[in-house]
Amino acid sequence: MKNLLKIALVITFALALVGCGGDNTSSGDNEYGCEVLNVYNWGEYIGEDVISNFEDEFNVSVNYSLFDSNEAMYTKVLGGTHYDVLVPSDYMIERMIDEDLLQPIDKSVITNMDLLYEGTLNKPYDMDNTYSIPYFWGNVGIVYDKTIVDPSDVESQEWEVLRNPKYAGQIYMYDSERDSFMVALKALGYSMNTTNEDEINEAYDWLVELQQTMAPAYATDEAIDGLIYGEKAMGVMYSGDAAYILSENENMAFYAPEKMGTNYWNDAMVIPKNADCPGLANEFINYILTYEASYDNTITVGYASANAEVFEEMGAAGGYYEGNPAFTPRAQNEKDEVFSNNEEVRELISELWIKVKNS
Amino acid sequence: MKRLKGLPSKLWLILLLAFMYLPIIYVVIFSFNDSRSLTHFTGFSLEWYEKMLDNSTMMESIYYTVVIAIIATVVSTIVGTITAIGLSKSRRAMKETITQINNLPMLNPEIVTAIGLMLFFTALNMRLGFMTLLLAHIIFCIPYVILSIMPKLRQLDDNLFEAALDLGCTPFKALYKVIIPQIKPGIISGALIAFTMSFDDFVISYFVTGPGINNISTMVYTSVKRINPSVNALSTIIVLAITIILVIVNIVPMIKERKKKKNEELA
Amino acid sequence: MKSFRRLVYPYLLWAIVFIVLPMLMIVFYAFTTEGNSVMTINFTLDNFFRFFSDSIFINVLIRSLKLAIITTIICIFIGYPSAYFMAKLKPNSQGLMVLLITLPMWINMLVRTYAWRGLLLESGLSPEIKVYIGMIYNFLPFMILQIYTSLSKLDQSLITAAHDLGCDNKMAFLKVTLPLSIPGIISGITLVFLPAVSSFFIPKLLGGGSYVLVGNLVENYFVTTGDWNFGSAISLIMTIVILISMYFTRKFDYSKEDR
Repeated sequence: MKNLLKIALVITFALALVGCGGDNTSSGDNEYGCEVLNVYNWGEYIGEDVISNFEDEFNVSVNYSLFDSNEAMYTKVLGGTHYDVLVPSDYMIERMIDEDLLQPIDKSVITNMDLLYEGTLNKPYDMDNTYSIPYFWGNVGIVYDKTIVDPSDVESQEWEVLRNPKYAGQIYMYDSERDSFMVALKALGYSMNTTNEDEINEAYDWLVELQQTMAPAYATDEAIDGLIYGEKAMGVMYSGDAAYILSENENMAFYAPEKMGTNYWNDAMVIPKNADCPGLANEFINYILTYEASYDNTITVGYASANAEVFEEMGAAGGYYEGNPAFTPRAQNEKDEVFSNNEEVRELISELWIKVKNS
Repeated sequence: MKRLKGLPSKLWLILLLAFMYLPIIYVVIFSFNDSRSLTHFTGFSLEWYEKMLDNSTMMESIYYTVVIAIIATVVSTIVGTITAIGLSKSRRAMKETITQINNLPMLNPEIVTAIGLMLFFTALNMRLGFMTLLLAHIIFCIPYVILSIMPKLRQLDDNLFEAALDLGCTPFKALYKVIIPQIKPGIISGALIAFTMSFDDFVISYFVTGPGINNISTMVYTSVKRINPSVNALSTIIVLAITIILVIVNIVPMIKERKKKKNEELA
Repeated sequence: MKSFRRLVYPYLLWAIVFIVLPMLMIVFYAFTTEGNSVMTINFTLDNFFRFFSDSIFINVLIRSLKLAIITTIICIFIGYPSAYFMAKLKPNSQGLMVLLITLPMWINMLVRTYAWRGLLLESGLSPEIKVYIGMIYNFLPFMILQIYTSLSKLDQSLITAAHDLGCDNKMAFLKVTLPLSIPGIISGITLVFLPAVSSFFIPKLLGGGSYVLVGNLVENYFVTTGDWNFGSAISLIMTIVILISMYFTRKFDYSKEDR
């Protein structure tokens, strides 16, 4: 036991020394007044060399931190942690703008603005992109096994296929109140941003019936593996994840309901009010828009890039994701919507969702 | 007779170890998988090890996890032992109070402790980062240490201590020579549990840490979004490192002893 | 001897600052509602009414308690013999076993649970049984460690004395060893039961997602919904229920000691 303690102490000191050595990467003064940029992004959401290339080019160091949900990120920021760049989703950006947590992007620094894909700009959460610059985007749709599920069923019934008793016990429902209610509201022909309580209650009944007749498995990321290996035949998926499933299992197909419509989502880069280094943050955002960084991001992560050239190249003939319908989501469909932020509805849905799962 | 009786008990322990290590072996196997899957093995590759080594955030997270766990364990074990000894001599009301307070962090859903500490640190105007992370780990580790030591102290025979005093020991010498050796198993298990808790903590760490300070758990929880077997590779490395340390700790003294014996025989 | 009492005071202060104060903030949240401005604080019991007026929340609490109780009981039944046999090994092997039992826990809980998910994928077991396997796997080492601690270095002369007084092995165990190890069992129960009530990653991953527990509920209200007030109230209700039950466990423990 004593030996163990000794070894432990030696390791600590050794590591502490290494750590101290590593921290002293200051590069003296620069035009931004700071050498460290604090980036807060989703886990597994950046290209392998993007950070190191940025560090080399600007001679700064990046502190890279990760979050796993918009809400966890929001709680952290609200709790007083200072970050320089965040990558929240649409509705969260809207909320943060409403709550005055963001500062405007310095457009004079963002020289790569014209590289962006048109379809990702000027969305309702931030009408003229004052506060946010798109990062990744996509739709939500149904991934299904062509050998088990009849494609014509999916295309004719759209979201209702999730309640088709033929496929009972075969489906993954997305384990998040926001996405599940989106599916239900869209299936009923309502807006997914409805504030009408009757419509929401109807959606609740829709989901309860699904729970009772279809015995779905509620999953988020576990479903990716499950669909690749055919544990279930169908599931609600984000397009980027669907693209990965399709590339791993050729029996799988993806369909984003057109007539009923679906969620068009956008994750975008923003700078919080309490950022320590906004100057460098703007440079970072501009850097991400470049072809090299966007390409690296999209190749590594598999989501559709906001860089027009990268996005079109990937899906086109000879591209990395050629013929993969999930990789090329659509940005213009009348029935598609972007999530907006509404606090009361959020609470109501949250409580109803617990009831759905317990019904 | 003793031999015969030992057999079922050995078998039980072997089964227990098999149960404990089954998932670990599974984790190791899937770190060599050539696809992202964590449930279907499709072929051998070292891809995930390369990915892990390339991922500087992940490599840093190992450093922070180990350093925090070791410091938190050492501090909480010392503080916990001292407090437990004091507590064993305290009045029942005090015992009851501290025990109940200590139960709180174990009992509260982690998110509650996490938010509570985050708000508390920010209210004190402390900048969230390495220090707050370490402090939080010490805070939630101490109760585990106290909890592990208390039963051992209650088994303790007070007369032993009195006898040591009668034989001329100062109270603190008696403490060191008599009480500590008696409660040592409790201290060790307390330290092990503290280390484990610190090593494996996600929720609290996540909310009290600052930019750029990630631990292994943060890496794991945020990578689940897109299943990443690099996490398995990382776990495999941990298993390997622990095994090596274990071998050193257990084998080296044995070799030394053998040498000693040989020398004695020669002399 | 009594001078050692003073050793408690620094920690008492520490615990008040770092455990009680943050906890008070949570209590404060539980008795207020959102939208309360800082200037006019209105204390309210709304959050508690909301909890008790809906059977769903009560069911979730009961389900969580049931899961934790069954997990704890099974852990005792597997853990006690394990610890007992460990304490009978040679001293060197004992140390090794303690480490071998602890080590799997240094692999991240989520990683281990994913491994179980893969292992049990084609087992055909019901989700409920899978959840129990995962829970027991995760908490068993704590139980073993605590019971083992109370059994190791047990004064062997006591057992010898029992034998001399005509006890057979079984009697000696029931009259001497078992009572002496009760404090260890109680520590074990604390270490397993308390975190088990609020655990939710394991049930979520192994139980197919439709398994709502108090842990999910609180996490959901704190993070996803951002309703810290109701989240705090749920947590507080759970805390009180458990503290009461723990109080009775310890009362039982003390009453034995006082005799």
